[in-house]
Amino acid sequence: MDDLLVVRNLTKNFGGLAAVSEVSFEVRRGEILGLIGPNGAGKTTLFNLISGLLASNQGSIKLEGEDLTKMPPYRRSAMGVGRTFQVVRPFDMTVLENVMVPIFAHYKSAKEAKGKAYEILEMVRLENMADSMPSSLTLAQRKRIEVARALATKPKLLLLDEVLAGLNPSEVAENLPLIRQVRDSGVTILFIEHLMDAMMAISERVLVMDQGALIACGTPDEVTSDQCVITAYLGEEAPEC
Amino acid sequence: MRTNKIIVAAAILALGLLAVPLYFTSTFILHMFTLVFFYIALTAAWNIPAFGGKFSLGHAAFFGLGAYAASILYVKYGISPLIGIFAGTVCAMLGGVILSFPLIRLKGPFFTLASIAFAEVLRMVAIDWRSMTNGSVGLNIPFKPGWLNLTFTSGMPFYYIALGLAVLVILLAWWIRSSALGYHLRAAAADEDAAKALGINTAKSHFFALMWSSGLTGMIAVFYVFYNYVLEPGTAFSMDLFSLQPAMNGIIGGMGTVWGPVIGAIIMTPLGEFLRFYLGTIQQGLNFVVYGLMLIAVVNFVPGGIVSLMAPWFKKKKSGESSARDN
Repeated sequence: MDDLLVVRNLTKNFGGLAAVSEVSFEVRRGEILGLIGPNGAGKTTLFNLISGLLASNQGSIKLEGEDLTKMPPYRRSAMGVGRTFQVVRPFDMTVLENVMVPIFAHYKSAKEAKGKAYEILEMVRLENMADSMPSSLTLAQRKRIEVARALATKPKLLLLDEVLAGLNPSEVAENLPLIRQVRDSGVTILFIEHLMDAMMAISERVLVMDQGALIACGTPDEVTSDQCVITAYLGEEAPEC
Repeated sequence: MRTNKIIVAAAILALGLLAVPLYFTSTFILHMFTLVFFYIALTAAWNIPAFGGKFSLGHAAFFGLGAYAASILYVKYGISPLIGIFAGTVCAMLGGVILSFPLIRLKGPFFTLASIAFAEVLRMVAIDWRSMTNGSVGLNIPFKPGWLNLTFTSGMPFYYIALGLAVLVILLAWWIRSSALGYHLRAAAADEDAAKALGINTAKSHFFALMWSSGLTGMIAVFYVFYNYVLEPGTAFSMDLFSLQPAMNGIIGGMGTVWGPVIGAIIMTPLGEFLRFYLGTIQQGLNFVVYGLMLIAVVNFVPGGIVSLMAPWFKKKKSGESSARDN
């Protein structure tokens, strides 16, 4: 299969702490790849490294063979790396304008940007909220603004950071199909999630991180039966790891 | 219906403002209006980087650069201030280029501190570079009336010039805020990291905002100096007058909005003159105590500025209109 993103030996140290150490993996074009791990495993740091908000100490990141490692975040976005943030902080403007912000990178006219933004809002089913302020929306809807904003950058690879966290079961059921729908529209997805059921239901492969290192990679079934993964989550002694 | 009403109101306001000098011949009233217009323009220019959350306390630097550039050209070389307007704008923008290094590198209060230092350093340079600036003595604009010299026998032309500047800068600020640059700045102000991840070169956006702001401030300064005839380092690079005052107007009116600077300047300029005149004579500095208290009150109770108090009022008026029609 064709690899969209190739990460090799990626390392980030904060002082003496290796938040991400020697991580290597590939994201295949068109897949939904899950990323799990206990709190503090380095998942969000890894997202920050891929999207360029943090500079890595070592290693390389390549998208379709193009080296992103030294690029500033806005150029990586132009190359096709989109992302959402764990803590949703919409800009202080209407829902539609929030989605227009990234579109302005491609379309300079406000009218064109508005039209494109509407199309994306329809995709995430927020078209009726277009003129509302984000603060009047539910958390589930605000998470969808995040997704819409990221989609507006026309990403090839979309990094989703806990887009389901904090939602009630019916909201999860509402937002979950969206991830699949986005993938079906031609966007490859790498996503962090703590809700195991949801994660296992939609990802084709899963990466597991613990203490900055990648400890497992495989189908959901393979990963959940992996001894190292069980140890990372339950904290047993496991000499094989 | 509503837009028609706004157009009518704006037309009445415009005619009223154009007619002021014809009915009020008192130089004091004319001067007060002129000063308010100058401060609307200065505050609206100061406010452009504030769209992106950048808070400058060093705009006196751009003011002084613009003012000195045009005055030196005129007083020392006899070059018309009409050319000086461009020279002043360009010099202030060059100052903006220098200040853009800390702007892009430093975040939050550190940029603000760097901007203060920048203006102070330039003030020192203006004092010491005597061959050019006449040092602390300053430069006097000779009184030779005429459009080419931007010197007039009555206050009326400057009333219209200042009004024109205020309208120009408000329109530019409105245009910038509703353009791609404006959206990018507002996004960066709300969440710099999210803006970057969405493909925005936030450094570039902040830089362009500062270029607009510094250039406009320098241009306004040229007119202001020719309105006042004198120029010395203490006033041209005055922290009180051209760094703090626009910032105060902006905070009190509503920072990062188009109309906030207008409201702030309309309230604070006459109030400042009044306080300086009445309280300044009782005890020097007492006027600043009142300023300080106002600032604390606004920041605590109306963090969005006075313009944020008026927003719901406008909405109510809109819904009130329809219910009035029902009756």
